[in-house]
Amino acid sequence: MDDFEGKKILVIQTHGVATPTRTYSPLFYAMAAAAMEMEVMVWFTMDGTNQLKKGEAEKVQLDKSSDVTLKTMLEQTLDSEVELRVCQQSLALWDMTKDDLIDGVEILGATSIIDLALNYDHVMYF
Amino acid sequence: MSEREEIRGCVVLTNLHYAVDDHTWAMINDDGTVTVGMTDVAQNLAGAVLHAKIKKVGAVRAKGKPVATVESSKWVGPVKTPVSGEIIERNEAVAAEAQILNRSPYKKGWLVKLQPSNLQAEIAELKTGDAAVAAYRVKIEKDGLKACEHLDGFED
Repeated sequence: MDDFEGKKILVIQTHGVATPTRTYSPLFYAMAAAAMEMEVMVWFTMDGTNQLKKGEAEKVQLDKSSDVTLKTMLEQTLDSEVELRVCQQSLALWDMTKDDLIDGVEILGATSIIDLALNYDHVMYF
Repeated sequence: MSEREEIRGCVVLTNLHYAVDDHTWAMINDDGTVTVGMTDVAQNLAGAVLHAKIKKVGAVRAKGKPVATVESSKWVGPVKTPVSGEIIERNEAVAAEAQILNRSPYKKGWLVKLQPSNLQAEIAELKTGDAAVAAYRVKIEKDGLKACEHLDGFED
């Protein structure tokens, strides 16, 4: 396989805590890309926003025999130097403000997503 | 001391040089090249390894940059080289059958051989012998790591 280090990947996550089985994989792919030395951002919008509310991600645990929760996955993603961003407009969907967000997440507006999509090498949409 | 120590069941070979925080090891070969791999603790943290994507021969890697990406069902991450150099050989057996990393992280599970570019300075920054065992003991205690398991056997 070729090396693609330095490429930029944008992961868009639209699924949240109501659909646990759709939450881990985008973060896993983001971590994989980061481990392969790519620049990676995960953009949370629509339902994807609610997993970033303090106290929510630790309730999502796909494998009950493991101590890994969605919060663990989010922390590992941040540790992998993946950037986590959330849609400003989507926060309102869930009555969330900046203070509700877990640490390490920044807010961007809708126009930013267009800029990002155009400037990244590849967009993965979930 | 013996060449093989165990901490909570995790094997540390005292003849290797370790970057304990990155869970990697380096071995200086007779021809001056360096073999690099991941430690027993690393393979235990990862769990059953599914794939290992190893960098190409010819790639020049600075210390701390990945020489491979390893993934299991619950973890994916880089294996960071503890010394700088050019990759002159990669372990095709591990690339084809990554589970070797679980069974033999120090022998059959080596990842790459490097022609080092700054060995004298960088090897001094790694832990070996008694110091490696002590450092790993602290790391395991500090991080609260669970005991290592070798369900499919272990080959030094």
